[in-house]
Amino acid sequence: MNVAQVLAIVLLVAAAVIGIARVVRRSSLGDRAVALDALTAVITCALLIGASQADDGLMLDLAVLFGLMGFLASVTVARFIESRKDDQ
Amino acid sequence: MSDILGSAVEVLSAACFIAGALLALIGTLGLHRLADTRSRMHAATKPATLGVALCALGAALQLSSTSDVTKVVVIVVLQLVTSPIGAHMLGRAVDDK
Repeated sequence: MNVAQVLAIVLLVAAAVIGIARVVRRSSLGDRAVALDALTAVITCALLIGASQADDGLMLDLAVLFGLMGFLASVTVARFIESRKDDQ
Repeated sequence: MSDILGSAVEVLSAACFIAGALLALIGTLGLHRLADTRSRMHAATKPATLGVALCALGAALQLSSTSDVTKVVVIVVLQLVTSPIGAHMLGRAVDDK
């Protein structure tokens, strides 16, 4: 693993910690959904870097999975917020 | 010659990785710094597209097998298609002040 990959992973871990702090801190549901969306992007980046380091297709499959899951999660939360607004 | 080319590819992919990771860090910092939900979405959706695309380019330059590079292309296309749709739906759903 070369220096650039280690540096990039360190930056991504810092980004993930900051993003998790945003999710955990008291904020609105929409804010949390946005933060989780950013977190899935961070995880996808980390998986891509890991895949290039290991030269391994399995991590790329996981990255595809995370990309899809992030989309489904944000759409689901958006629909949920909309339906809750209609109830009120 | 191929040595020079190989190290140039290495440097390029390293630059892509660091740029993508830096973008992700700036995006999550923006989640804390910006004032309302839609401006935070503006910060959060940049790493979701450009950050992932840069990391994918860096990975594609280093991967050896063609099928792996195809998977990377699938990841980028998927991200480019789904990320605006998700952001659009969230943007419509969040509360208006």
